[in-house]
Amino acid sequence: MEKLIEIQDMCKIYNPGENEVWALNHVNLEVEEGEYVAIIGHSGSGKSTLMNMLGCLDVPTRGRYLLHGQDVSYMTDNELSAIRNVEIGFIFQGFNLIGNLNAIANVELPLVYRGVDRWERRELAEEALRMVGLEKRMTHKPSEMSGGQQQRVAIARAIAARPPVILADEPTGNLDSKSTQEIMGILRGLHREGRTVILITHDDEIADRARRIIRIMDGKIVEDVINENYEEGEETYAQE
Amino acid sequence: MGQILEYIKMALSNIRANKGRSFLTMLGIIIGISSVITIMGVGNGFEEEMNEQLAAFAGGQIYIYTNSEGQKNDEYLNSEDMETIEELEGVSGTSPDYMETGTTLAPKGTFDVTLRGGGTAQEEISGIKIVSGRYYNKGDISTGSHVCVIRKKDALKAFGTEDILGMNLEVSLYNNTVDMTIIGISESKNEDNMVSYDYAGDSISLEMPYTAFEAFGWETSESIYSFYVTTDGTVESGVVAQNALQLLNRRHYSQGEEYYQMQDYNDQVGQVNSMLGMITGFISFVAGISLLVGGIGVMNIMLVSVTERTREIGIRKSLGAKTSSITLQFLAESAIISCIGGLIGVVIGIGLAHAICSVPTLGFPPGIHVSTILFATLFSSGIGIFFGLYPARKAAKLSPIEALRRN
Repeated sequence: MEKLIEIQDMCKIYNPGENEVWALNHVNLEVEEGEYVAIIGHSGSGKSTLMNMLGCLDVPTRGRYLLHGQDVSYMTDNELSAIRNVEIGFIFQGFNLIGNLNAIANVELPLVYRGVDRWERRELAEEALRMVGLEKRMTHKPSEMSGGQQQRVAIARAIAARPPVILADEPTGNLDSKSTQEIMGILRGLHREGRTVILITHDDEIADRARRIIRIMDGKIVEDVINENYEEGEETYAQE
Repeated sequence: MGQILEYIKMALSNIRANKGRSFLTMLGIIIGISSVITIMGVGNGFEEEMNEQLAAFAGGQIYIYTNSEGQKNDEYLNSEDMETIEELEGVSGTSPDYMETGTTLAPKGTFDVTLRGGGTAQEEISGIKIVSGRYYNKGDISTGSHVCVIRKKDALKAFGTEDILGMNLEVSLYNNTVDMTIIGISESKNEDNMVSYDYAGDSISLEMPYTAFEAFGWETSESIYSFYVTTDGTVESGVVAQNALQLLNRRHYSQGEEYYQMQDYNDQVGQVNSMLGMITGFISFVAGISLLVGGIGVMNIMLVSVTERTREIGIRKSLGAKTSSITLQFLAESAIISCIGGLIGVVIGIGLAHAICSVPTLGFPPGIHVSTILFATLFSSGIGIFFGLYPARKAAKLSPIEALRRN
């Protein structure tokens, strides 16, 4: 399979000088298209920094990052914005929906920034919302929805523009167990559809749902294994 | 660029989502623009009204008189001077505008009478219009006909009727009594003119050729102290005045002696105008300061808004919004707020100007020009963009990680 993500000898150093913090210490990582990867680590392990790097939200101090064949290591702010828009779909712990926009407008946002015309945008957003089972909640505002529903809107937003990488940062951290099951089900479904899903978590139980588990500690990758517990069995999207 | 429309839509939805705050932000602009519009409206209206009235009162008039030097040398003006000046280009008429008080015996009794003797320019100078009959003409002036024009209200007072054309009125002045034939009934052109005055007061006013004053034993062709020259507008009044003075000096061999002087009323109209303009300008300047304060208000609120919406900015950036997208979104917001505020201000300003101008003691229409409205609207949008620029740049420069981390 083609390599989607190639990280070579990446370092991220905060406060260079006296109180240096090596948030990433010579990290090497490759992810192929269609993988389902969990990156697990405690707080302070460097997993958030890695997630920022993977998501093109930040640039490394040293090293190289090839995403979808492009060297994004030292791009400018605006170039990174364009890359994020096309290549990455974010799912955040705190949902990060925009409060005064309804579900469909939230889902349309990345398409707006991509310059897709409004009819096509609406079509893609509706399709994405249908995929997460929210076709009846399209005009609801985030405040009118449960946490699980909000996270499903966020997933729809992440997949609507069909980016090659879906990056989920503690997607179930703010959810009850029922909603957690729903969300994990959806992520699994996305993987089964052939999408690349990268899950960042501190929770072993959540990480155990992924196909490949990468453990990070003190800015280094300490374990990178195929999950033997991963079940290839059928699983459908959660419905309301 | 279709994207602009998206930013405008985003901005509108944000303005709608924060109605109360958006209105408060607008308030400064509303107050600023409405006060500018009100002041300009009232000021221009007043200026236009003054202009109109001054023009009706003294439009195109030049007053020429013999100064003390001329009087000392007994070089008064004469009727021939007036006739020659009438030949000058741009001159429509002349008139010595004599005024004397006598008495008259009319069917309704004896009244005081103000006799006004004029030349070819007198009809214009008097600011009257003929209701019936006619005004005296050049022929009447050259022959010194005993004809007169009477005001309608005086006709009613002296005769009890307006139907008096061709009737005679017995007029006494300097112990001479003469029968004057009534050839016209007049009415004032501007009854409620702020700058008009009733020269006749309670007495009956009769207008007649100045040559008719001969009948009362007055030498009218010589020793004229002063006269008015009216212009037809084809030549600038200042030029006409200079030409007339030169002509007089030539005729009286007084070059270099300066026997005659003139007052150009048009100059005075101009002076009054420029003074009014300065006053309006000054007050507008003060109102402009309130606009500036309004603009700073917009900037303040936008800065608060940027701080409050840091997370939203982070989300948008993570989804692919570029620096320019964020800048445009915030700029669109401040521009729209200011523009709407400006439009509301224009409406309130027009309303206020009408309200102030309709106060009974003023009673003139406010002078609100399309250019003022356009300027105010453009200016307020400009303020929105100018004062929105700093907060918008600040928002756009936020790093997405920082912005997402903040709550």
